Amino acid sequence: MAESSRLAARNRGVVSETRHLLFSVAPGAAWIFAFLVLPSLYLMSVAFMSNGPYGLPQMPLSLDAFKQLAGFGFLGWSPGNLYTLVRSLWQTIVSTLLVVVIAYPVAYYITTCRERWRPLLLLLVVVPSWTNQVIRAFGWMNLLAPGTPLSDLADALGLIGPHMGLYPSNFAVTLGLVYNFLPFMVLPLYAAFEKLDKALVQAAQDLYASPTRAFWHAVFPQTLPGLLAGTVLVAIPAFGMYVIPELLGGGKGMMLGNLVANQFAASSNWPLGAAGAILMLIATFVGLFAMRRVGRRLGGGEEVVI
Amino acid sequence: MRKRTLQRGLTGIWWATLFFLYLPLAVIVLFSFNSANSTAVFSSFSLVWYQRLLGNEQIINAFGNSLILAVSSSIVALVVGCLIGYGMYRHRHRKLGWLIILIYLPIVLPDIVFGISEMAFFVEFYRLTGFLQPGLGTMIIAHVTFQIPFVALIVYSRFVGLDPTLFEAAKDLYATPFKRALHFLLPTIKPALISAFFLSFTLSIDDFVISFFTSGPESTTLPIYIWSAIKKGITPEINAIATLMIGAVAVAAILSLLFNRQGRR
Repeated sequence: MAESSRLAARNRGVVSETRHLLFSVAPGAAWIFAFLVLPSLYLMSVAFMSNGPYGLPQMPLSLDAFKQLAGFGFLGWSPGNLYTLVRSLWQTIVSTLLVVVIAYPVAYYITTCRERWRPLLLLLVVVPSWTNQVIRAFGWMNLLAPGTPLSDLADALGLIGPHMGLYPSNFAVTLGLVYNFLPFMVLPLYAAFEKLDKALVQAAQDLYASPTRAFWHAVFPQTLPGLLAGTVLVAIPAFGMYVIPELLGGGKGMMLGNLVANQFAASSNWPLGAAGAILMLIATFVGLFAMRRVGRRLGGGEEVVI
Repeated sequence: MRKRTLQRGLTGIWWATLFFLYLPLAVIVLFSFNSANSTAVFSSFSLVWYQRLLGNEQIINAFGNSLILAVSSSIVALVVGCLIGYGMYRHRHRKLGWLIILIYLPIVLPDIVFGISEMAFFVEFYRLTGFLQPGLGTMIIAHVTFQIPFVALIVYSRFVGLDPTLFEAAKDLYATPFKRALHFLLPTIKPALISAFFLSFTLSIDDFVISFFTSGPESTTLPIYIWSAIKKGITPEINAIATLMIGAVAVAAILSLLFNRQGRR
């Protein structure tokens, strides 16, 4: 008797806990499910439909969208989309590398300053990224347009054709990406530098390691978790970037994001756009997964954000 | 000796980076005071673009839309996200992997995929049911979707930082769940709620891509207005309005610095 009532009480406890979980979590979970999971599933299904009039998806199911993404059109194969893909990858890699090269000394410099100044210095790096990204890209358009001092300089040095201007170009896109993502690398690297165990560096120096060796063996491994976190924060959004290539790149600077977006606007081919979106999703999740694996192997553990 | 060269090099890189970071913004601010409509030559100082701004009804409207969108989406996200944050904390011993994935999804999804999914979904939904016509309503829904995770994570981390015995104490005093929420939970997480609200507000005001794809013809926000003006090449007032937005960011930066200083004291 006592046994069964205790059991009932425990059951009641479990039920009320579950109800509590449902009431607290359900509204938000349902919101994200209804307004993000369902829409993305719908978008993915669109990729497997055929292109109807006005670019809207219709039955029957087909794989045409993926063929078009690979470059097969009415007029045979053309490399246009492939160029866009390769360009997206290339821009991502180059801009991430540049961001690392700039962010590394900057983050280290901040840790060499007095402690009370550090929040201010970090803030100075981050504040530009608080302004709207459209405005920031517009600033670069103003700076790089034909006839501006920078363009004239590049012209005089023979880097560009006469009266071409530095924008629109692939160079402008790379510059815009580096500008946009620099703070996302400085912050995690700074966190890594701040925790740096100076005793290891000291030990390396005591053992007569050259500065280069000391750096690669005593400093670099310690900052690796920050570097990985920064790479996740920079490379993944850079690959899907839309605003910067659209404003700074022109027709020949298009990236995957623009290819996808165009299919829902001007050229109107929803299935093709959806296929591009799937590709972008795959790249995102592969990237995240790979970074996580690398982070685990290096023992970064919790420091790697995602 | 070598150490000093290193330090000098670092200082040089630091100032060069700052120059790089602030140059485009400085150019915008400078040319907003240009009397001629040119971004290459500065003729003379004038406030003509700011005067034009005040008379431009579209810009005023867009500003109003941005504010309505940011405030209403932040309020909804605050309520919903706060509940999730609390639920995650209370039930942190259970296996909630699916919930974590759901919460991280809006953060990791590329903006463009996010925006286009919502757009395709809303267009199709409107065609089938006649509800949710693209406009401010759909924009609010989309914004709430990307704000919820941030609110939930901020509230959750605040709870994790609390002493668990506090919860027991509140229970021991025989407070009803409602009273516990009102007199204990809400006051203790108030700082988290405030910062979550401001973060949501900033994310919403700052967002362009997702707004752009979920907006309707009547619901232009400030970033969308600026975007279309740039695209059409009609940009005289853009420098002025961008300068005002940069000014707002500068004020926010100074405020955050002051608050930080105060918080540490």
